[in-house]
Amino acid sequence: MPRLRDPLFATDCTVTFDGHAVPARSGESVASALLAAGRLVVSRSAKYHRPRGPFCLSGSCGSCLVRIDGEPNRRACRTACRDGLRVETQNAWPDAAHDLLGIIDPLTPHGLDVHHMFTRPLPVNRALVAFTRRLAGFGRMPDRAAPRGPAPSVESFDALVLGAGPAGLAAAGTLADAGLRVLLAERDTLPGGRLRTRLEPDAAPAGWPADVLRAVTAAGGEVALSTTATGLWRDGGSPVCLLVGETPERTRLVRAARIVACTGGNARPPTFEGNDLPGIHSGRALALALAEHGVLPGRRVAVLGAGPEASALAARFAAAGLDATQVAGPVAAARGRGRVRSLRLPDGTDLPCDAVAQGEPPAPAPDLLRALGVGVDWDPAIEALAPRVAADGTTSVPGLFAAGEVARPGSAAEARAWGRRAGEAARG
Amino acid sequence: MGKTILCACEDVTLSEVRRAFVLGHRDLESVKRYTGFGTGPCQGKSCLNAVVQELLRLGATPAEIAPFTPRPPIQPVNFGTLAALDPEALPLDEGVPLPVRPPPPRPGPSGPLPERADVVIVGGGILGLALAHQLTMRGVRDVVVLERSYLNAGASGRNGGGVRAQWSTPTMVRLGLRSLQLLGAFAGETGVNGWFRRGGYLFLAPDGSQVKRLERNQAVQRAQGMRTRILSAAEACAVVPELDRSRFVAASWNPDDGVVFPWPFLWGYAAAAESRGATVRTFTPVTGLDVRDGLVRAVETPAGRIRCDTVVNACGAWSPEVARFAGVTLPNRPTRHEILVSGPLKPWLGPLVSVLGTGLYFSQSQRGEIVGGMGDPTEPAGVSHGSTLRFLARFSRTLTDYVPATAGLSVLRQWAGNYDVTPDNNPILGAAGPGNFLQLNGFVGHGFMMAPAVTELMADWMTGREKDEIFDRFTLDRFERGTAVREDFIIG
Repeated sequence: MPRLRDPLFATDCTVTFDGHAVPARSGESVASALLAAGRLVVSRSAKYHRPRGPFCLSGSCGSCLVRIDGEPNRRACRTACRDGLRVETQNAWPDAAHDLLGIIDPLTPHGLDVHHMFTRPLPVNRALVAFTRRLAGFGRMPDRAAPRGPAPSVESFDALVLGAGPAGLAAAGTLADAGLRVLLAERDTLPGGRLRTRLEPDAAPAGWPADVLRAVTAAGGEVALSTTATGLWRDGGSPVCLLVGETPERTRLVRAARIVACTGGNARPPTFEGNDLPGIHSGRALALALAEHGVLPGRRVAVLGAGPEASALAARFAAAGLDATQVAGPVAAARGRGRVRSLRLPDGTDLPCDAVAQGEPPAPAPDLLRALGVGVDWDPAIEALAPRVAADGTTSVPGLFAAGEVARPGSAAEARAWGRRAGEAARG
Repeated sequence: MGKTILCACEDVTLSEVRRAFVLGHRDLESVKRYTGFGTGPCQGKSCLNAVVQELLRLGATPAEIAPFTPRPPIQPVNFGTLAALDPEALPLDEGVPLPVRPPPPRPGPSGPLPERADVVIVGGGILGLALAHQLTMRGVRDVVVLERSYLNAGASGRNGGGVRAQWSTPTMVRLGLRSLQLLGAFAGETGVNGWFRRGGYLFLAPDGSQVKRLERNQAVQRAQGMRTRILSAAEACAVVPELDRSRFVAASWNPDDGVVFPWPFLWGYAAAAESRGATVRTFTPVTGLDVRDGLVRAVETPAGRIRCDTVVNACGAWSPEVARFAGVTLPNRPTRHEILVSGPLKPWLGPLVSVLGTGLYFSQSQRGEIVGGMGDPTEPAGVSHGSTLRFLARFSRTLTDYVPATAGLSVLRQWAGNYDVTPDNNPILGAAGPGNFLQLNGFVGHGFMMAPAVTELMADWMTGREKDEIFDRFTLDRFERGTAVREDFIIG
């Protein structure tokens, strides 16, 4: 039962995974299609050859790298399915599910001290260097050279809003309502961010994202979907953002007097023994795959966390007919071979499960802001480094604003309100 | 099972982080380098908080958990995408990240300072630490190395790891050959892996004038017993099949040059020197030199002063600053040099490849990444660690011109270090100003590869053994005497 039996979620294309046909829905991510097909392992890890599969499904971890149409190290979660797309596993032989070098992991229960192993005698050390070089690396070189695209010109907008989740939409809407020309860039194919998970149905009316997009374009601005902000630099003396779209023609360099970063947080992997087993995912990403593509992560889902998000996730999975258990306390270990089969609790009991949803909220993602000089502090309350962003969305850098989970965890409704305040502050 | 993975990209376990901390790698920048956490495809997005949490549990101070410097880009970008950017539309800038105001706290010194020492080495880069190692091997154990930041914070931890003997003068060829030998012996000598690999150096000549240059060098190199050959474009493509052979006319190839992974060399030299009695202090900047009667009597730091017999200035780009404390003016000009890595790939590139006339060089690291840099002729003098989009555009254009298949690879991380540039591209050695103030700087982007050979000779000289001619040839007063001869085979 990989997907909900609903014509709404019918597959309409086929991608190949190491030559095996995987039914998929056009536009859903490769990671989502693989999850629905029960193919959780896409590679083996760098050192110990542990099984690796999608964790965050949102571009913040590095666990779903695959070869796509002959290009190495592509994120399965950031690539949209289309008919005939060729997906291949990496760093495994004969394949990721049955990798022979997987033996390294059980043979090294205490890890490998790479700095001090086999340093002498010289012939042994030389053999080590040659051998580890062959083991190292991930993808293979691309099959062919892609032609160089046209040089993008540097575009100017009154405001650049990065991210079309609740915070970004609110900020963009506020700026557009003030008559400013806004570029709203969203890396996903659809606007809405976490609103799309429908975990907080009351955070915004259903038609709100579309209303904001209309307002942005009506004010002379533009909405760029499937467009990733790859960083902020300062070449030429003022911030410049490199936005990369799906095709070379959609790559753009943008300067704006106001930049509002609402790019959301980074999913947090749990930290217990076996925490990297395939089948352990960001709960929010699972909720999105369920809401939009009917993907069921498993039959028995353990949801980690004590907060409202974990409860909402457990309720959502239960409503989809799954056996969902919320684990509010600590976990000792995840067990399973190749995929999670149970959680060992501190009292020694085992909770059988075939999927684990991380229900702790994402951590702030300060890197974009730090590029321009925003400071960060360790916040013990959220056990994360958080950028210094004020309640009105301002930062220590003039012209740079932020709101929502990029800066601090909170509900979607709070992110939306924060985005509005940041938009007002940016509007001036 | 049994492992708790804190960094899934690089497979760094909880116990590896604990081990690093116990070994003294306490601050986040050091833990990152020692364990490799945060250096993979996600660039620390998933793992940074978990590592900080663990370090706090282990007793790290707030200053020690100041997060490591963010490196652009924040999402991987293809070389092909970056190659489309017009570098001329991106005027050179100080780059990002911009400094945080107020600056984050810095960790304190790693221990109390001795009151006196025979030798104080200012600068805990490869040169200073290798010299400490060589001195202690010769029985001079009362050596203190002072490093202003963590080990590997300067150019020694920021370079591409190339080591070559393909130089244009007999002196440099001799030093390069000796360094290759010593770097090869490093793991056995110190018990720390440096991942030295003789993959060769391939210099590509895009035009006839560059070929002449290579031929002149080849004659010098073969006279010293090197196997350097001039290859046709077709022969060069047999070494690296991915090269676009229409872009160059010939190449110079020495299969015995190599690459290393730079970071462990500093740990290894530091540990070896300390095991024989030397003291290495990180996060201890030098704030003054006490000069009286023509000698440096003591070195001053915020953690106290150290009386000493000899002071060595091995601060790379910061050497002029330290020399000024002794009233010495060095002609060195620090110049930013940018560099990047791609995502990890299975081995495909044996040698380090450099394209003459462009400043481009690239190799494949032990972990499989393409590591490469490219000098920018418009770069002004001054210490700077900022990263620019202009560099990404220039590097990617030239790389994809010469290796078209790289268009489909992505850049994971970019950073910058500083070349310590002298007027004739040769180092500054020997005493300058006070008679006991020795210089070991001005290595113009090849300090790492020269360090083993030069410090071996310097330790011989300092301990009353043979004085190599380099300590007469490369003195500061060569510029006044008019005996400076320019080295023209600098890359990057």
